[in-house]
Amino acid sequence: MRYISVFPIVVILSILFGSAFTGLVIAPGVASDIVRSPSVGLVAYSPTEAKGRKIYAREGCVYCHSQQVRNVKADENLVAAFGVSKAGDYFYDLPHFLGTSRQGPDLSNEGRVWRREIGAPARDYLIGHFINPRQYNPNSIMPAFDYLSTQELSDLTDYIQSLGAWKDSIKVAEASL
Amino acid sequence: MTSIQDRNDSVIIPNSTKPSSELLPIDLPDSAAQIWLYSGIFWMSVTMLIGVVEAVKLFYPEFLQGIPALAYGRLRPVHINIGLFGFMSMGYLGATFYMVPRLTQTPLFSERLGSLTAWFWNFNLLAGCLGIMMGFSKGKEYTEIPFPFDMTIGILVIAIAGNLFSTITLRQERRVYVSLWYILLAIIPFPIYYTLGNASKFSGIEDAIINWFYSHNLFGIWLTTLGLATLYYIVPKQVNKPLYSHIISFVGFWTLAAFYPWNGGHHVIWGPVPMWVMTASVTASIAMFIPTCATMINFGGTAWGTWEIMKRDIGYRFSLLAYVCYVGASLWGTVLAVMSLNAKLHFTNMTIAHVHLGFLGFGVPGVIAFTYFYLERSLKLKYSRNLAEWHFWLTMLGIFGYVVSMGISGWMEGSAWEAGSSPQGTMLDKYPYHVARAISGLIVLVGQFLFVGNVYKTVNYPIDLPAKSGVTL
Ligand code: HEM
Ligand code: HEM
Repeated sequence: MRYISVFPIVVILSILFGSAFTGLVIAPGVASDIVRSPSVGLVAYSPTEAKGRKIYAREGCVYCHSQQVRNVKADENLVAAFGVSKAGDYFYDLPHFLGTSRQGPDLSNEGRVWRREIGAPARDYLIGHFINPRQYNPNSIMPAFDYLSTQELSDLTDYIQSLGAWKDSIKVAEASL
Repeated sequence: MTSIQDRNDSVIIPNSTKPSSELLPIDLPDSAAQIWLYSGIFWMSVTMLIGVVEAVKLFYPEFLQGIPALAYGRLRPVHINIGLFGFMSMGYLGATFYMVPRLTQTPLFSERLGSLTAWFWNFNLLAGCLGIMMGFSKGKEYTEIPFPFDMTIGILVIAIAGNLFSTITLRQERRVYVSLWYILLAIIPFPIYYTLGNASKFSGIEDAIINWFYSHNLFGIWLTTLGLATLYYIVPKQVNKPLYSHIISFVGFWTLAAFYPWNGGHHVIWGPVPMWVMTASVTASIAMFIPTCATMINFGGTAWGTWEIMKRDIGYRFSLLAYVCYVGASLWGTVLAVMSLNAKLHFTNMTIAHVHLGFLGFGVPGVIAFTYFYLERSLKLKYSRNLAEWHFWLTMLGIFGYVVSMGISGWMEGSAWEAGSSPQGTMLDKYPYHVARAISGLIVLVGQFLFVGNVYKTVNYPIDLPAKSGVTL
């Protein structure tokens, strides 16, 4: 606690903070290609999917559902079924929905489970589940989103069905070559 | 050389040339500190109340179902934002506005500005949170408060930082005590990362990296630093002896300042980010062991042999509780950043246990310790000892219950997932722990009501401390 003047403290603090800023904010954007380019085959969101995405943000789905499969033992089944998530998969996501918690299941490949090709049964399931999750799983702790309008439920369903769906389309394209 | 515990606690009255009739109540010394502190206590109660509601919803989802504004996904961001920007920011800024004039031996640059920013902050936060509840959330963790209320916070912080910084620049006391270093670290970079985190329009992974850079700085070099500054100020005064070692606090401060801003990437360990982002952040997180140990040794050394004071002074007991939980949460955080453990425990309730050991265990007792200190040492008022005693034990029990129940549940989840189970598979197993967490939260909340009642009564129906009560003031 001897005499230390404030100015050098401010300068050193700025240098320390500045270096972290450079390392974690500037460098990933400038120096890393994988951060800045979309995955092969990734499709941008359609207008209704984008609307659904906004509802996902507004209702806070991200607090319980991650959208990220990691290459770790705890995710073994997901990796086997769907593969590991890559940086480019998220190219069109603003804001990102990586998530930090799994009170519910990971949703990054939900569009490959309840595929669009299934048609009405898949949509009816997803919408019915939003309205009353406990009709399908009595133990579920997911809130009932029964207050959403029919249009909102439909947009949200479009969004959910888009998640990861493009990965299957590439597989089909590759198989037909 | 006078040490911190010998420095005067009284306020320096500005030698104002204006007639006193022109002074508004908000110009009086410490009025800013009071508004910030009492607002912080108010929001602390609100965030706990919301926390309990959420906790119940996680095992009994029909609770308050059917009111969109109270849906889980909307209440949770409100809980977080009120917790971080309401309770923690305001409570510790209260302590900061109290400490800065005393550490600098200089009247606050502008008491009026300090008070007005506090009121603005309150209304702005209220509006922002109502916005989230009405469905205007920005949807990204820790940046949910919608425009324009998010930007207002940034502008207010610039005004606050300017006010504090000017006071520090104009200081009479040339020596700069540790608390002031921490305060400088808190107020200088905040506007930069806050604006970056809230206003940037990056997408995808870049957005995630920046989101976590911002969020971790928010916990690490805004809330934690203000909290540590407060503890560094009050603990030597409570035990009435100098800090154990100024060299160690020097090491602790500079290593914290060097490593904490690098920590952001540890929220996406094993995630789809460039490998070197992860490596840098994991290294920095493990290096956080150094400042944590420094804090541990320093406060441990200061507190050594103060058993008598601990029995007598409840405020001091809260300081120790905050200290223990801070060290615990930080070591726990270092462990969570170890890649093999993160592989198992990320996405589980283990993170929630860590977070609440930090905020509920360190943040809450820190503000409480400061409040009791303020009532007793500065206002020289006597609070009800019985209520405070109850408050202490309830808070401690609640924190313990919360952290242990979530910790066990998190470990179980991680183990079950590694054995091939899924989140749906572990849902029923978590039920008893979620109930235990809600009960623990309720216990904390009851303690909090006793605390608020006690403070209210002490301030509004004062009983002065007897001039010589055996307590060294
Ligand atoms: C009575 C006390 C409290 C209870 C019962 C409580 C309950 C909860 C619950 C149920 C969650 C959601 C957990 C999940 O997603 O699984 C949560 C998250 C959170 N709480 Fe609390 N809480 C309390 C006090 C506090 C306080 C005082 C703060 C202070 C700042 C706080 C900060 C947070 C934060 C930051 C999160 C988000 C954690 C994350 O995203 O990982 N909580 N709390
Ligand atoms: C040396 C100190 C610390 C280290 C190394 C550390 C490390 C970590 C790590 C690795 C995570 C991510 C866990 C995961 O998602 O798997 C995390 C989350 C978190 N930590 Fe810490 N921590 C430290 C101290 C603290 C303290 C003192 C606080 C609070 C005052 C705090 C607040 C949080 C919060 C709020 C999150 C949750 C973010 C979220 O998922 O929403 N940390 N910490």
